[in-house]
Amino acid sequence: MTPLLEVDGVSRSFGSVPALVNASLTVERNSITALIGPNGSGKTTLFNVITGNLRADTGRVRFDGHDVTTARPAALYRRGLSRTYQQARVFSQLTVEENLVVAGGFGLAQLFGRRVNRRDRQRATELIDEFRLGRVADLPAAELSYGQRKLLEFAAVLMSSPTLILLDEPTAGVNPVLIETMEHHIRRLHAAGITFLIVEHDMNVVMRLCDPVVVLDQGREIFTGPPDAVREHPAVLDAYLGA
Amino acid sequence: MRMRRGVGPVRAAVFFLVLAVAPTFGLAHWLLTMLVFTLMFAVMASAWNLLGGFTGYPSLGHVAFFGIGAYAVVLWFQHHDISSGYEPFLLLPAIGLGVALVGLPIAAIAMRTRADVFAIVTITLLFVGQTLAFNLRDITGGAQGASIVPAPFPADSYEIPFYDALVVLLAVSMGLTWATMRSKVGLSLAAVRMDEDKAAGIGVRVQTVKLLAFCVSVGLTAMIGGIWAYYEGFIYPQFAFDPLISVAMVLMTFLGGRATLWGPVLGAFILELAQQYFAYSLGGSRFYLIAYALVFLVVILVMPRGILPSVRDRLWRRGRRRIVDAQLPAGDGPL
Ligand SMILES: Nc1ncnc2c1ncn2[C@@H]1O[C@H](COP(=O)(O)OP(=O)(O)OP(=O)(O)O)[C@@H](O)[C@H]1O
Ligand SMILES: [Mg+2]
Repeated sequence: MTPLLEVDGVSRSFGSVPALVNASLTVERNSITALIGPNGSGKTTLFNVITGNLRADTGRVRFDGHDVTTARPAALYRRGLSRTYQQARVFSQLTVEENLVVAGGFGLAQLFGRRVNRRDRQRATELIDEFRLGRVADLPAAELSYGQRKLLEFAAVLMSSPTLILLDEPTAGVNPVLIETMEHHIRRLHAAGITFLIVEHDMNVVMRLCDPVVVLDQGREIFTGPPDAVREHPAVLDAYLGA
Repeated sequence: MRMRRGVGPVRAAVFFLVLAVAPTFGLAHWLLTMLVFTLMFAVMASAWNLLGGFTGYPSLGHVAFFGIGAYAVVLWFQHHDISSGYEPFLLLPAIGLGVALVGLPIAAIAMRTRADVFAIVTITLLFVGQTLAFNLRDITGGAQGASIVPAPFPADSYEIPFYDALVVLLAVSMGLTWATMRSKVGLSLAAVRMDEDKAAGIGVRVQTVKLLAFCVSVGLTAMIGGIWAYYEGFIYPQFAFDPLISVAMVLMTFLGGRATLWGPVLGAFILELAQQYFAYSLGGSRFYLIAYALVFLVVILVMPRGILPSVRDRLWRRGRRRIVDAQLPAGDGPL
């Protein structure tokens, strides 16, 4: 079987700043792959290239065996690749329920149907219950705490029935209880067959959750391997501790 | 956000009933005239709201479509006989549809830009329209203006047919707004307004709903232009393409509350009546515009998001505080 996601020699610069330099990475099916690296090492940029939010200058991206280097985000989303953003992006004036419904996707024919119909509500309610958002389901997302918004964004991603989920720092700025909740959901969904690629700063979370770990430094992939090897690897120590 | 089931339709029914029967009370001429203009702006603000409010694309060029509608009516009846005084009203749907179609390619280009850039791009529409009206003399009569056969309505009830047509158009415009809010078009527009890139990334039909909002919005605006031209009987480029009309639509919507059903209508009633009152009491000078601007400024300073959202917010918070307080043991402050 081909890997679920293959990034092959991707480079991307912003003006004269090289954010990605010939970066490669592979995400095997049903893995929880961690992507770590110092600030500014290109993790978010790599996410953006994978999801089609940014174009790669060179290199290729394959998802599920298909070349998707130039695919649009919406096309990838429909094919089962979805993501969250580092700064949780939810629709602030839509209610929690509406945020889920809009993420569920609908065709032209449904555009003129009810804003939230019974079927939408059913699907959304399942997720609202699973993520324990029932108390806030009818509140605008702006009323939620930052952590709750991250949780909502995570829940919304599931509305598209994805096979691969990219999480950009799901636990950053989130209280310890909610970190546990996040971990719980990642494990649960992983058990249900969903593959994850996670950018994560909290090494404890990485150690508990992920295998393998990919380390990015200055836009280059410098290490791929099991979590217990990553801490000892000289290049990794260098990247984090060196100047 | 939520209101008790049934309150909305009842409110709308009462509002339109009052509007419908008002003229039968033998209102003074000047009052009817004032209401005709207020209704024109109510429809236009409501139409502008579909694009500027719900979609978040602040057009400053809507008057271009008002002008197109105005010239369309006048020019059509320069070349066709009028068989009855009501015929120009019957032409309005065709004008609305035609202008909506004209708006399609314009929207496709202009809506590639956003926010302030979009506002600037749309301003150019206004000047293009005005320039064409001034310079295509053979068609528009240029600065000499153009006229339509006077409406053959009796002088003491001259306003009534215009008034009625405007009430119908206001119902159409508010009906469309209401339908938008209740449908996935409204849900999609809200997503576009709040985070268009994210919306596009999760497969929202961004382009479709944007174009739809633009076309419906300018189509309605053009119909008001048509009514206005017929009402005035004589039109000039600088009045058919008056930037102040564009500005009024924007101010009224901001005042009453963007992306609400009633906000633009409320804003139109407040600002248009205020303007007429000041114009009357401060005389022919244009000082009344300052008073008018002051009304707007004071309200927006007190309620930056517009009247309806601010009021609703306060009521909602008060209701919620009451619930929260009731759950707290005595002595504890709010969380
Ligand atoms: N849109 C952009 N325009 C210009 N430069 C950018 C842009 N996005 C990222 N960069 C630059 O590219 C480099 C990589 O940024 P990126 O956000 O991918 O890092 P990161 O690994 O996600 O960092 P962090 O851990 O802080 O989130 C940085 O030097 C950043 O300044
Ligand atoms: Mg980042």
